[in-house]
Amino acid sequence: MTVTLYHWEPNANSGKPMLTLAEKGVDYQSHYLDLLKFDQHQPDYLKINPDGTIPALVHGDKVFTESTPMMEYIDEAFDGPPLRPKDPKQRWRMRWWMRFFDSYFAPSLSMIGWSIFVGPAARNRDPAELKAAIERIPLESRRIAWRKALFNEFSEAELAESKRRVLYSIGILEHHLAGNRWIAGDAWTLGDINCFNLGYALPLSQPDHCNDAKTPYIMEWLRKIYERPATKATWAKGRTPMASRVAILERKVH
Amino acid sequence: MLELHHWEPNTFFLKPLIALKEKEVAFTSRYFDPTRFEQFAPAFPRNVESGLHLEREGPLLVHDGTIVSSSYFMLEYISEAFPGADLSPGDSCEHYRARASGQFLGLTLGAGVSALGCAKYLVPALAKLDAATVRAQIAAIEPQERRGSWAAAMAGGYDDKTLVTVRERLKFPVKRVEDALAKSAWLAGANYSVADIDAFAMLSVLPDLAPDVVNAQATPRVIDFIGRMRERRAVKDALAMSRTGKPHEAFVPGAEPSRWG
Repeated sequence: MTVTLYHWEPNANSGKPMLTLAEKGVDYQSHYLDLLKFDQHQPDYLKINPDGTIPALVHGDKVFTESTPMMEYIDEAFDGPPLRPKDPKQRWRMRWWMRFFDSYFAPSLSMIGWSIFVGPAARNRDPAELKAAIERIPLESRRIAWRKALFNEFSEAELAESKRRVLYSIGILEHHLAGNRWIAGDAWTLGDINCFNLGYALPLSQPDHCNDAKTPYIMEWLRKIYERPATKATWAKGRTPMASRVAILERKVH
Repeated sequence: MLELHHWEPNTFFLKPLIALKEKEVAFTSRYFDPTRFEQFAPAFPRNVESGLHLEREGPLLVHDGTIVSSSYFMLEYISEAFPGADLSPGDSCEHYRARASGQFLGLTLGAGVSALGCAKYLVPALAKLDAATVRAQIAAIEPQERRGSWAAAMAGGYDDKTLVTVRERLKFPVKRVEDALAKSAWLAGANYSVADIDAFAMLSVLPDLAPDVVNAQATPRVIDFIGRMRERRAVKDALAMSRTGKPHEAFVPGAEPSRWG
């Protein structure tokens, strides 16, 4: 059966199945969609995923559109090294941390990122064109999110709360990694793939709070993942400067 | 040693009770009343994960010293860690459907059902307590997220406009469930699974909380699904663990709505 992945940059939700497939050694047809040009809301892609979200994995006649459950599907459905712990307790911990990143840490981090980096660049485009693009988004929740992101509708209170949550998250992640080699414990798992994709740019986004002096365990964990051949191969598929940010994890040679 | 710390068999608290009854796993029931803030007592089990509690308030499973929180992942844990009835869906594709359902419904129904339930039942219940005592108990809650959700409930923080929006937004996940049940008898496919336990625990209160959204005319398959679930021995046994006789009135702050809108 053929495997096709519709994705954007090796980053966040798109990067999760990309890196998982690479770690499993699965060949796949890559369809790059430019998120910032709203390729994911074009009619051809909506035939694949009517919700207009990316990534989407097509395996034979089956379509998978939720990135975190998609990772577990890839691990189950394909040969290759297992990417989930056998022990149910470690497996639960892996899932908890993936949800923590998905629903708590990453939304706060990305709110700051959109406010400072991505949103201003996107707003250089014609506002009428942007509004029309937003109106074409199938899901109401995504229309609201895109409107907030593109027109910087984040309040000061929302941004302050995001900052607080990011710092809190950095603290508990550092504490967790001080006692665990990997997210789920002693084994490299999907938890590391998930959290790396959502957090690899932390040293760039939060240089005063995530660095070798303050968070040595996070830095070492990020670098160990960055050095994996699958990570190098996956990030080489990036087409924009966003993907090249991963180079901040290169070890300094003294 | 297996202990389940739970309240009335409703919403998040109901899920592990059904799963353990389905599995026929022996466990020690540790009943607590979250509206009396017993979950913040020093002796209550706690670690980083359960302290933050992504669902805000809910059950804890303690298995040989390991604290398991987050109700959908707790269902998967029970499914994977114990012998007994098979609660996993059939193949890897159906496993995906179950996980995608658990994630989606947890974030949508999990937030909406709790808001409606708290507005109808928790806010009036808190109003009967001594306000100064409750405020002092809330002020001592850590972390901030859980303190904030209780403070909002105490302040009656569900105005009519908010509740109209919550009801409107429930239509989308409810329709997804209705559509899924048109394709297969159970949510993940042909087999009964953790996905059904998860969904039932949140859907079963909606005919009461949002009768305009879930009813026999608008959502016949959801109504039928709720009825089929209620016929299961494990569900009856779990609901029979109620101490108040009114488990459908037991609500506490639940999952946070998306901060992105």
